[in-house]
Amino acid sequence: MLIAGLVVAAILGPLYVRRNTINPTAARYGIGSAVAVLGAAVTPLAMGQCSFAEHSSGVDKLLGYLLMFGGAWLALMGARIFWDRADGKKKGDAAFAGEIRAGGFRLGLWVPWVLLSPTLIILLVFLYFPAAATFTLSTKLTRLGAPKSIDVCFTNFTELLITDPFKLVAYPLIAIALIYGARFWKSRSEPGSASRKGAEVAAVIAMLSVFVALYAMFSPGGGGQVAYRPVYINTVIISVGIVAFGMIGGLAVAYLAFRQIRGGGVYRTLLIWPYAISPAVAGVLFFMIFDPTAGIFTHTMDVWFGIDVPNYRESAVLAQSSIILASGWKILGYNILFYLAGLQTVPLEQIEAALIEGASTWQRFTKVVLPALSPITFFLLITNLTYAFFEVYATIDFMTKGAPAGKTSVAIYEIIRVGVNNGDLGRGAAQSVLLFIAVIAITMWQFRTSGERVSYGGS
Amino acid sequence: MKYRLLALLAVIALVAAACSSSSDDETATTVASGGETATTVVSGGETATTVASGGDTATTVASAASGEVTDIDFWVAFTDYRQEYSEEKAAAFNAAHPEYNVKITSFASYNDVFDAAVLAVDSGEPPALIHFFEAATRQALDAVDSSGAPIFKSVTEAIGGRTEIVGEPVVLDSVIDAARNYYTVDGSFYSMPWNTSTTVMFNNMDILNEAGITEPPATWADVTAACEAIAALPDAPSGCITWPNHSWFVEQSLGQQGELLANNDNGRTGRADEVFLESDGLINYLEWWKGLSDAGYYTYTGQQRDWGGTSNAYLAGEVAMLVYSSSDTTFFDRETEGLFTNQASFMPRNEAVDYVGNLIGGATIWMLDGLDQVTEDGALAFANFFSNPENAAEWHQLTGYEPITKDSITLLEGEGWYDESPNSQVASDQLAAAADTPASLGALLGNFVAIRDVITLAIEDILVNDLDVATRMADANAEANKSLTEYELLNAG
Repeated sequence: MLIAGLVVAAILGPLYVRRNTINPTAARYGIGSAVAVLGAAVTPLAMGQCSFAEHSSGVDKLLGYLLMFGGAWLALMGARIFWDRADGKKKGDAAFAGEIRAGGFRLGLWVPWVLLSPTLIILLVFLYFPAAATFTLSTKLTRLGAPKSIDVCFTNFTELLITDPFKLVAYPLIAIALIYGARFWKSRSEPGSASRKGAEVAAVIAMLSVFVALYAMFSPGGGGQVAYRPVYINTVIISVGIVAFGMIGGLAVAYLAFRQIRGGGVYRTLLIWPYAISPAVAGVLFFMIFDPTAGIFTHTMDVWFGIDVPNYRESAVLAQSSIILASGWKILGYNILFYLAGLQTVPLEQIEAALIEGASTWQRFTKVVLPALSPITFFLLITNLTYAFFEVYATIDFMTKGAPAGKTSVAIYEIIRVGVNNGDLGRGAAQSVLLFIAVIAITMWQFRTSGERVSYGGS
Repeated sequence: MKYRLLALLAVIALVAAACSSSSDDETATTVASGGETATTVVSGGETATTVASGGDTATTVASAASGEVTDIDFWVAFTDYRQEYSEEKAAAFNAAHPEYNVKITSFASYNDVFDAAVLAVDSGEPPALIHFFEAATRQALDAVDSSGAPIFKSVTEAIGGRTEIVGEPVVLDSVIDAARNYYTVDGSFYSMPWNTSTTVMFNNMDILNEAGITEPPATWADVTAACEAIAALPDAPSGCITWPNHSWFVEQSLGQQGELLANNDNGRTGRADEVFLESDGLINYLEWWKGLSDAGYYTYTGQQRDWGGTSNAYLAGEVAMLVYSSSDTTFFDRETEGLFTNQASFMPRNEAVDYVGNLIGGATIWMLDGLDQVTEDGALAFANFFSNPENAAEWHQLTGYEPITKDSITLLEGEGWYDESPNSQVASDQLAAAADTPASLGALLGNFVAIRDVITLAIEDILVNDLDVATRMADANAEANKSLTEYELLNAG
């Protein structure tokens, strides 16, 4: 098993070298192969080859291969940096080397390290070390204060997934195939043609297929597996809701507040205030508004209009909507702040030109203002998504505690419920590793796709 | 310009506030003049004045003795008036024993206290006493430090038959039977009971009388009948009965019906390694509960463990009956005054089976192992002082929690307290009526907190999504047993 994986790595290594280096010499093929084998061997050796043990399931083996592949890939990326340097291929700032001379510390190479050390030490102690500890914990069955802890290999992860390894491979492959298919279609179609329209629709469907593939990959529970699919659905609904509400609302309010109105400064200041409120307080506020017994809104509706407002915690739709409302409202001020700043940078000449061309208000907004705001939108998308993933715990805890029957339990809420409240450190750690991977993946995807469409002005 | 002026005013106000508070601190420190002691005393808030005035003499005694003050850290899981009560008692103890300085640190929950204590043990600065709840008794007994030594020490063992420790009479022997039996494991009384309660029902007698019911309903059938009568009223409240969706009520019902929650006699004759979430008693209770809910009689607040929401619904007159912890008897007596007649009664029971007994709930004070003799004695003395007859009686009157010792009950009877507030006696009567069987003692169970969550989540699912009780509890049973098996893997043997 392990040997098969290593052989594949030894073959993939040279292939990577051939694709990704300018100067693929025979020595580099050899080194590439060796580096790939070493990289692939790291995780199985560190984990005692547990995922290839006799009793391990197909999904265990799959994860084992995936980690070997990942290790090989990372090792090759490292090697590539050295080769690129040797080949004189430059990236980033160094690309300007013709115009700007690269700076250097006259006192020696150690100076920057000394100057960076306070930051590095803090990162090491408070970020990297806990992160590494989380990875270790995620492979154990362990509890705070318990005398023993048991290594469980990747069970904490595999029990979140469906048990069929073939489906687990097939679903993401289908999604990837759809994405590349849509891209290929788009590249072969004429701009403005019906075919291009179709390609664009296909691209959206392909993107949604990623969500569907993930949905199908998470276990619905039963048979000793953890029901993680509901958590995934909740997380997608609530996160997308918060981001959509927060950003569309933020832009709408900012656009209104940006206009010249009497006392505009006061409005603008007041609009930003919700951002200064902590998520916990936001939860308490909305609880006080909507609570069926003590809520202001429910009471007013009942007394003034005789409307019996249903308990928001007993309906999945209402509970999720109220979480979205509370969390979206809290981040609204932040989005308004950035959009207000962004609106000031929209080139006036472009708007004037559009006016002369006879563009309507809506056209001016969608064709001029929105593209000019795209860098801000891109930035806000990432910060809002991070907020929706990580900072909604307190709001949910005060408003619903995951009710009704777990319908508002999102990934971060589940991590704290399992890992902290139930003291199941291993499962909590595994779920937080999953969330970590999700955030990295979304950010990478954001940078790849939105990066192409973001306009920073100029030509 | 205007804004600057405003800002200036704000700054001045802030500075003034800071000055006034710091001068308060100064006075307190000067009066107490005992150095260390003063800080704790001040944290007692109102009491500070009383203690500080008595502190003069106390400090003299302390400095006369040796000047050495031993700190006793007591971590408490209350953050409301009950924290203030603890601080008052700590201040009183410190005043009487200047060689000791009991410091109260407050945490948001029992779990927080426990996690913090386990971590503190490993980092070498543990507290002397912590406040921890009944459902985690097994977890506390199993807890070990990084070297594998138990974290807690049995208070019976530490007291070692003494009747007085540094001048404080030992009251452990006078603890009421229900609490003694619950917390006695393997023949040893491990922790010192503090807040102890049971479940009682509070009845809005105005509504019940209007519906023609003169006595609080005693059984499930009585409750259902009462609800039918209430629902027929022209000005019927929106609901009829409520209680928090907390596993404790399920456990109480099992005790009443004489059914076990876990094997090995609820974990009392051996470690429990199997839970029974599909027992007849449990299913019957949930069927009755769901029936009330389906008929619109039971009001679900939509949240698990929702003490605040259910109590609000009762006070607002939205329900006629509230099954709740007796710990808030005083609160309900006070809050309903002038609103409606509030009468406490036993928790409704299943009329189809013989009544066995209700159990206690609450928390005890655990003493950490490895304290030096002086600290340990101080900690034990404080734990006993904390529940001496006067304090236990005061605690009961303040809250409604059980008067934890027989002596304190005698004291309360002598004062005529129960004639004055008959509702306060109901909980004690209910516990006295309970048989001493494993079922009515309640379970000692590993991972109990997580298992309780499994139970309440299943109930929420049943109530909100209208699921079949037996099917849903079969899933819950599998999940709970997995949790327990894993706990036993890590902790047993």
